[in-house]
Amino acid sequence: MKEKILIVEDDQFLREFYQELLQGEGYLVDVAADGEVALQKISQGGYNLVLLDIMLPKKDGLQILRDLKITPPKQNNGQIVILTNLGQDGVIKQCSDLGASGYLIKSALNPDQVLSEIHSYLQKS
Amino acid sequence: MVIPALFIIITIIISALVGIRIIASKYSQLSSQNRLLKALRSLDKLVISSPEIESLYQGIVEVIHKELGFTFAILALVDKEAQIIKRIAISLDSDSTQTLNDMLPVKFKEQIVPLSNTENLFTKVVLDKTPLHTRNLYDIQKGVLPSEISAKIQRLWRLKSIFLYPILIRGEVVGILEYSSTKEKEKLSALEILIMEEFTAEVSRALDNAFLYQNLKDTSRQLVTANTRLQQLDQLKDDFVSVTSHELRTPMTAIRSYIWMALNRPDIPLTEKLKKYLQRTLISTERLINLVSDMLNISRIEAGRIEINPQEYDMVILVNEVMEEVKPRAQERNITIEILSTPIPKIFADRNKVHQVLLNLLGNSLKFTPSGGKISISFFGDGQIIETSVKDSGSGIAKEDLGQLFTKFGRLDNSYVAMGTSGGTGLGLYICKSLVNLMHGRIWAFSDGLGKGATFTFSLPVASADVLDQSEKYHIKPKEEVRGLEPVAL
Repeated sequence: MKEKILIVEDDQFLREFYQELLQGEGYLVDVAADGEVALQKISQGGYNLVLLDIMLPKKDGLQILRDLKITPPKQNNGQIVILTNLGQDGVIKQCSDLGASGYLIKSALNPDQVLSEIHSYLQKS
Repeated sequence: MVIPALFIIITIIISALVGIRIIASKYSQLSSQNRLLKALRSLDKLVISSPEIESLYQGIVEVIHKELGFTFAILALVDKEAQIIKRIAISLDSDSTQTLNDMLPVKFKEQIVPLSNTENLFTKVVLDKTPLHTRNLYDIQKGVLPSEISAKIQRLWRLKSIFLYPILIRGEVVGILEYSSTKEKEKLSALEILIMEEFTAEVSRALDNAFLYQNLKDTSRQLVTANTRLQQLDQLKDDFVSVTSHELRTPMTAIRSYIWMALNRPDIPLTEKLKKYLQRTLISTERLINLVSDMLNISRIEAGRIEINPQEYDMVILVNEVMEEVKPRAQERNITIEILSTPIPKIFADRNKVHQVLLNLLGNSLKFTPSGGKISISFFGDGQIIETSVKDSGSGIAKEDLGQLFTKFGRLDNSYVAMGTSGGTGLGLYICKSLVNLMHGRIWAFSDGLGKGATFTFSLPVASADVLDQSEKYHIKPKEEVRGLEPVAL
């Protein structure tokens, strides 16, 4: 069975890039371009992995994590990994406190590095 | 016998009378002196106890009235900027002030004498810098009050003489003390005149100090305001840098990702030229991304917003970890990395920061070492410090450039070509130096010249008993909110 990944990314080019990259690896990819849609989809659940940005329109990633703590998803998801360009220690710590399993900084990683990170997170879950 | 006896008695009586007069005069002198001393003591107390300079002004005139016994005392100050003399304080109880204010068409504190009004004695005192005396109150109210009101005030308080003394500070008249008396000048003793002089001189000194103190207070208040504003601006700047760098990174990540895809997808046919152009675009984009991160890091280091949290650990283990991280890239470029490990004591430093320094140095070596080259990492310890050296067989550094390596944007004139195409930012080594220095270490470089490889060495303290005893000295707590360091790609 193909693994289902949700990409939450507001930048269209990056969203489509990660979508293409992951589809090329054979994953089933779903996308969300803002925080509200993202929360809806994550709440429906059923993803093996969620790649969540932090700076998002309508609802930011931290708020999504908080909302999910209050109202857990109908169907379980695999891990939620932050994929962002914000690099402050404070934010990273907040995310892990709120239940994110990992933190990837987009600009510091080549696409092949992103892929290998995703593989290892999927293997862990 | 009667006559001589009488003579003696008369002589005795006369002597006694003279003596009594002398004693009375001495007594009066003594009481004047005593009054002056008391007044000076009160002035001293005033200077110490007045919270605001305005209460000092008021206190001065009240001492003149109550303790020196003058009917009226007025303090006026020169406003040099406005070229006027302003009445500041008057020694009257509130009832008398009310009476006076009712009589005055212009309120006391609004009685201003322009320095251009040379008819007024106030102006004369300021310009001539000498004390003056007058019998006529109107002399100091010319141009301020109508003469009939002056006359009325003088009658009401039965003023016979008015003395004006300049308040001199370093040769400049800053104000005037007015002493008004119901006695004529001729009836005042020399000592009473001297008292006015002495007291005015003392007031000058007190005001000098008060003005200096006031200035200091004003300046420090301004500094506090300026400092608060600067802190706000600093916060704004920091937020701006953070947000901007985030906003800049998004499109740069997209550029980098798509170019990488174009270069690495086997199903995309590329001509040699296009491949070369894309490779150069990729390097430049990476350089741009790293620049943004480095600049953010430097702004944090320089603002004292990073924490150095030292731990005791084994440098060789950390170096092995970092090597694992860079291995794929070394293999890609066919460069061998060897670690010449020797048993060394543990160091005391911030693990994450040392990790960053090692990544940077290894990253540099990888950038500047051609395919087939070699990088070796070695250690040296003398019990106090551990030196870690990263040696490569790369493009080397011209001797004259070695001194500029660790400066911000230390542009290397002779090694510049290599740097420009390497994706480097010119900031990495500056960051390394800042971090190593914060951890009580040193960093330096050595090269035999261009094409002859380079060795970068940094030292860190050994976790000796002495160092651990003073571990607090090695721990740097950030001034404000802690910000971590931005990751920089190799």
